[in-house]
Amino acid sequence: MTPRGQTLIRLLGVQAAWTYERMAGIGVGHAAAPLLRSHYRDRPPEERRAAVARSAEYFNSHPYLAGVAVGAVVRAERDGVPGPAISRLRTALSGPLGAMGDQLIWAGEVPAMMGIALAALPWIGWWTVPLLLVAHNAWRFWITRWGLDLGLAEGLNVGAALQRSWLPRAASDAQRAGAFGVGLGVPIVAGWLLAGTDGTGTLLVLGAATAGLGLMLWPRTRTRITGVRFGLALMVVALLYMAGAR
Amino acid sequence: MPLVLFRVDDRLVHGQVVIGWGRPLGARSIVLVDDAVAASPWEQDLYRMAAADGVAIAFASTDEAIDQLPSWAADPRATILLTGDLETMAALWRAHPEVVTQINLGGIHHRDGRHEKLRYLYLDEAEEALIARLGEHGARIVAQDLPTSPAVGADAL
Repeated sequence: MTPRGQTLIRLLGVQAAWTYERMAGIGVGHAAAPLLRSHYRDRPPEERRAAVARSAEYFNSHPYLAGVAVGAVVRAERDGVPGPAISRLRTALSGPLGAMGDQLIWAGEVPAMMGIALAALPWIGWWTVPLLLVAHNAWRFWITRWGLDLGLAEGLNVGAALQRSWLPRAASDAQRAGAFGVGLGVPIVAGWLLAGTDGTGTLLVLGAATAGLGLMLWPRTRTRITGVRFGLALMVVALLYMAGAR
Repeated sequence: MPLVLFRVDDRLVHGQVVIGWGRPLGARSIVLVDDAVAASPWEQDLYRMAAADGVAIAFASTDEAIDQLPSWAADPRATILLTGDLETMAALWRAHPEVVTQINLGGIHHRDGRHEKLRYLYLDEAEEALIARLGEHGARIVAQDLPTSPAVGADAL
């Protein structure tokens, strides 16, 4: 496998060695190592070790976009940029890659995909789950590869290249896509699940939704009762009910 | 109060600053005081991308910041002042202690020679001594990464 291919595979597990001390730094250093080894093949080993150590310093960004930083840092090493400037490049990339990744992935793509999967559930059935996983990971692989190639092509100029790219606009628009997906999926799957039940089931669902909304808006509980926590609690209740019904 | 936070964070502009502190404080502006960034257009391009929509970002060297601190304090926009290291913030406090009312230690991370004080705060001996000296001269220093986290006084570090 080529060094780029090895780096790409390693980027898929970039958070595997996450620590408070270096956050994703060790994963980034591990991912950059094959490309750095290739570049420093004919140079003194101390130079390669120093470059890998720089790559493993503290780093924090969205994991799916860490490839941008890995590519840019490797390109900067190839271009002979001094070590302190490379460290500054890593620091400067951390904030924008974290912010845009959060908007694009956690607030956009993930809820959008989950909403669309919910909407597809009545027609495709439980095959929706593996299809969702395949689609999400195919996208994750694509964006990782795109980021790595962008970084390798641009080096220190990666900031301007990011600004010119599709990413800032997509990150800004992604939350609307997420809201659309959830808004599409929830009523469809709720109707599918409740089809054939009597009015009691509908009233229970409406009651749970109203209670959840109230708890999340009421000042005394809104900091503790998040949508995720309330949803997980409902799932536990539903599972217990299903187990009891059998 | 226009200058609403004086934060030391080696990650500079990132989510904890922009969203974590910026939203509850209603910040409309961030001033990043860092000699290297002030002289580096490509770094400024990157930090502009990390700022939220509607939040202005300005860059200044330490000397420029010392000159402009009183005018920033008079600006009606809520502003977060950010430095990447303790020494720069200490220089601002020494020049204008009446403006820099409290120093927030929000993120100083691991490197060789530093020891863990909090999960987001690693200090070497020189930095610990500097914090102690600033405290002796009357500076108020608090470690707190997010508004929802407990504030830890310099004495407890």
